[in-house]
Amino acid sequence: MEVIPLSPLQRSVANREPIGRLFVEGPAGSGKTTAAIAWLDQLLRSGIPADQVLILTPQRTLAQPYYQAVHQPDLPAGSLPTIQTLNGLAQRMVLLFWPIVAREAGFARPAQAPVFLTAETAQFYMAQVVQPLKEEGYFRDITIDDNRLYSQILDNLNKAAFVGFDHTELAERLKASWVGKPAQLQIYDQAQDCANRFRAFCLENNLLDFSLQMELFSRHLWPSFLVQTYLKRTYQHLIYDNIEEDVPAVHDILREWLPSFQSALLIADSDGGYRAFLGADVESAASLAQTCEQHIQFTGSYVENEKLSMLSAYLTDALLRRAYQPSPAVEQAHQIHFERFYPTMVDWIGASIETLVRADGLQAGHIAVLAPFVSDSLRFSLMSNLENRGIPVRSHRPSRSLRDEPAARCLLTLAKLAHPQWELPLNRQEIRQMLMLAIGNLDLVRADLSAQTLFSPRKPKDGLASFDLLVPAMQERITHRVGEKLEILRAWLRDYQAEPQPLDGFLARIFGELLTQPGFGFAKDLEAAAVTARLVESVQKFRRVTSNEDAGKLYLEMIAGGVIAAQSPQAWEEIGRTDAVLISPAHTFLMVNRPVQVQFWLDAGSLNWWQRLMQPLTHPHVLSRRWPEGRKWTDADEYAANQESLARLVRGLLRRCSGRVVVCSVTLNERGDEEHGPLLQAFQSLRRRLNLTEEAA
Amino acid sequence: MPLPSDFVFSQHNLQDYLDCPRRFQLRHLERMAWPAVQSEPILEQERHMQLGEQFHRLVQQHQLGLPVEILEESAGSDPNLQTWWQAYLRHPQTELPPLRKPEFTLAAQFAGFRLLAKYDLLAVDPGKRAVIVDWKTNRRRTPTARLRERVQTRLYPFLLALAGAQLNGGEAWQPDQIEMIYWFTAEPDNPQVFPYSEKQYRSDEKLLRAWIDAIVRSADQPMLMTADQEHQCPLCNYRSFCERGQRAGAWEDGDGDVTDEGDLSSIDFDFHEIEEIEF
Ligand code: SF4
Repeated sequence: MEVIPLSPLQRSVANREPIGRLFVEGPAGSGKTTAAIAWLDQLLRSGIPADQVLILTPQRTLAQPYYQAVHQPDLPAGSLPTIQTLNGLAQRMVLLFWPIVAREAGFARPAQAPVFLTAETAQFYMAQVVQPLKEEGYFRDITIDDNRLYSQILDNLNKAAFVGFDHTELAERLKASWVGKPAQLQIYDQAQDCANRFRAFCLENNLLDFSLQMELFSRHLWPSFLVQTYLKRTYQHLIYDNIEEDVPAVHDILREWLPSFQSALLIADSDGGYRAFLGADVESAASLAQTCEQHIQFTGSYVENEKLSMLSAYLTDALLRRAYQPSPAVEQAHQIHFERFYPTMVDWIGASIETLVRADGLQAGHIAVLAPFVSDSLRFSLMSNLENRGIPVRSHRPSRSLRDEPAARCLLTLAKLAHPQWELPLNRQEIRQMLMLAIGNLDLVRADLSAQTLFSPRKPKDGLASFDLLVPAMQERITHRVGEKLEILRAWLRDYQAEPQPLDGFLARIFGELLTQPGFGFAKDLEAAAVTARLVESVQKFRRVTSNEDAGKLYLEMIAGGVIAAQSPQAWEEIGRTDAVLISPAHTFLMVNRPVQVQFWLDAGSLNWWQRLMQPLTHPHVLSRRWPEGRKWTDADEYAANQESLARLVRGLLRRCSGRVVVCSVTLNERGDEEHGPLLQAFQSLRRRLNLTEEAA
Repeated sequence: MPLPSDFVFSQHNLQDYLDCPRRFQLRHLERMAWPAVQSEPILEQERHMQLGEQFHRLVQQHQLGLPVEILEESAGSDPNLQTWWQAYLRHPQTELPPLRKPEFTLAAQFAGFRLLAKYDLLAVDPGKRAVIVDWKTNRRRTPTARLRERVQTRLYPFLLALAGAQLNGGEAWQPDQIEMIYWFTAEPDNPQVFPYSEKQYRSDEKLLRAWIDAIVRSADQPMLMTADQEHQCPLCNYRSFCERGQRAGAWEDGDGDVTDEGDLSSIDFDFHEIEEIEF
C-alpha cells in the first residue's frame, strides 16, 4: 500500500487499537479517507482476517479509494474485505436468505428465485401497470414524458423505503403539503394507485425493484435472527465512509448493528448531503455520532487554498444575502468570463484549457468542466473541441441512449428485417442507413439505390430482394462488389429464419458471423463492438427478467417508444480515470470526490444551478424524514431550500478545487434565452464589492 | 499494453493465457468487448449455466445452515436441479473437516502481483487438514488427466498454502495437509481427489511464476496463439476478430470445464471476472 505521510490527527486514527467506535468528522479534503485507508492497512497488517472487515459507502464511486487500496499487490496475504453499499449487501442477503423470508414478505412464489430489476426493467414493468390506467384517463391533466412519469413513481417507492414509511402513505404525505391547485391532489392519488399496483405486481411475480430490495432487507432480513447472526459473525470491523450521503433506513440498521462490531470507524463530511434529492439525510447521519465513544474533528484542507476558502465564504454570504467585505486576495482564485453565444463560449473554454495544458504545464486530469446538467449537444461540442486540440477528455454523463448510436440502429433494423412476423414498421431510410454501416465502404448514393431497388416499404415482410434480379445497368451502378455482399446478407438472413433465436442471440450471431467478417462494416470496429455488447446485454437482461416469448418484439417496441434507453452506467474504472479533462454534471463530480486544480463552471446564469428539477409526482423534501407531517410546502420553503442547496453545492465544489475557478456565462443560453440566475448574481455582487474596495483603496 | 501493477491473476485469466495468449490479451488486458456467440446452442447452455449458479447457491445456503426442508422447495423448481440436489444430499460431507467457509476468497502477493482465488468451499480443521471442494455441474465428468492440468487444480491448493494461515491459527498450511476435491453432479459417486504435497507445491510455484513472468515480458507486444491451440478458436468469441471462422462451435465439443464459471456465453464474458474481483 502506498506510504503517505500522515498528520498527527490522521495518525491518531490510523494507530488506534481495533476496539470501540470512532466518529470522524471534517470537511472534504481534510484527509479523513486517507486516515481511514491507513487504518485499514494497519488492521490488515495486525493479522485481523480481512474478511472480517466491512467497508460501506452510500455509493460505489465513493468507495474508489478503498478499491484501490485493496488492489495493492503488497497487501498481506489472506482473505479480502467486503466493500459494498448497503443496497449491494442487501442484494447478497436476499439471494442467500430468500427461501426463509420470501413467504412471510408476501411473495407469491417463494420456491422460485427472486428477480432483481434494473432501472430499465423496472420502468418496463411500471409501463405495463401505468399504460392501461393512462388509457382510462390517469394523468390526463399533466404534461410529462412517459419515462419521467414511470421514474417518478419508482422514485416515490424508493423514498418510502429509504426514509422508512409505508409506501401506501405517499399520496397522503404529498397531498398534506400541497398548497397549489386542487387538481394536483388527484394526480397524487393516481400516482399512489400506480405505486400500489406496481408493488402488488412485483410481489405476485417475485420481482424486486430497488425499493423492494431495501424494504425486504430492513423489514424481514435484518430482523431475522439467522441473518443477524450471519452478518454479526462475519463482520467484526466496520469502516463506514460518507455517512452523510446515505439514507435514514440505512442509518437505522447501522445504529442497531454498531454495538456488535469490535471496532467501527464512521466518517462524515461536514459540508455534505449532496444526495438529499435521493433521500440522503445529514441529520440522521449525525445522530450516529452519539453511538460512538470517541469523536475526532478534522479541520483544514489538503486541497483547497486559503483564497478559495474565502471565495467560498463570500459566495455563501452573497447567496444568503448576508453582509460581507471581500478581500482582494480572492481575485486570484476566480475569473468571470462572458460570451454572447454558446459556440463561442465552448471555443473559448477549449482555447483556455489548451493554454493551461500546453503553456502552463497543467495535467489534463487536473481540470474539470462542470455544469448543472450536461446536455448531449454540450458534451459533444466540448469533447470535439478538446479532441481537435489533442487534449484528452472524458465525460461523466451516462453513455447516450442506444437508440442514438448508429451501430445500434443498424442492428435494430437488421432485427426487424430478420423477424418479419413481428410486423414492426420499417422504412427505406432505415434500410439505407443500415446498409451503409453493415456493408463496408458503402457510400450514400449506392446505399440509397440499393434501398430503393431492393426494399419495398409496402411489402416489408418480403425483406430484401435479390441483387441478381436487378437489371444489369442498376447492378453496374450499385457495383458487383456491393451486390456480392448484399447477397451474402440476404442468404444469412434466410438461413437465420430457418433457426431463429432470441433477440440477443440474433444480435450476437449476426455480429460475429456477418458484420465483423472481413470486408463488412463492423470488422475490427471496437466502437461498434462496444455498442453491440451493451445492446446484447440490455436485451438479454430484459429477456431473462420478462421470460416472455415475445421478449424480442417487446424490447424493440419499448426502445422505439423511449421506455428503454439501454444506457449503461459507466464502469467505475472509467469514472476514476485521471489523465483527461473531465466534463461532468456538478453533483456527479461531488460524488466522484476527486479534487482538481482548475474548475470551469458553465452557464453560471442558468437557473438550473439553483432550482430543483420539476417533479410533479414526487417531492424530495416533503418525503424526507425531516418534514413535519401535515406542514405545507410554500414558495418560501422552496426559495430557502434552493438557496441552501446552491450554497452547499458551491462550498462542495470549491472544497474540491486547489487552484482557481473560471466562471463562464453566456448572454444567450443553449435555447437562446437570457438568464441571470442566483449563482451569477452572487458573482456579480462579489465583483461589485471588490471594485468598490479597489476604488476605496 | 504493459501489465498494470494492480493486475490480479486468477485461474480464469491464467487459463485463458494457457488456452490462447491472444485471448488473454484481448479479454484481460485490452478488456475488449466482442459480443459474438461463443458456442451453440445458446439457450441450452444459458439454462445449464443458470442451473449451475442455482446449485452453487443452494449448496452455499446449505453450508450456512439453512434448513434442508426449505431448500428442498427451491431445488424442486427444476427437475435437473432437483436431481443434482438429491445427489448432493446423498453424499453427506461428513468426512469433511468441521469448519466450513463457503464462497471464500483468498489473495496473496506473488511474483510482484496479486494472485486470487474464490473457493466454492473450504473445509478446515486447524492444525490438521484443509479440504478444497469445488462443485462441478458440467454435463460430463472432466477426465482426470485434463483436470490435473487445469490452472485451478494448481492454483487453488497453492494459494491456500500461501495465503490460508488465517484459517490455521496463523500458521501456514503444510502442503501435505491440503487436498482438493472436485465433485461432479454428472457422476456424484465418482469425485476426483487430488492430495497436495510439498513437491507439487514447489512445482506449481515454479510454473505459476513462469507463466506470470512470461505474461509480464510479452504484455506490451501482440500475443499470439500457437499452432497447437487452434482448436480453441471455434469456441472463442473473438473468432471473427481474429479472422478464424464464422459460426460458433458446438457446446458439446468443448471440454465442458467452463460450465460453472458463468463464462460460456460471450455476452456474459465478464461475469466470472466480476464475480472474482467483487469483494
Ligand atoms: S479466436 Fe482463436 S486466436 Fe483468437 S483469441 Fe480466440 S482462441 Fe485465440
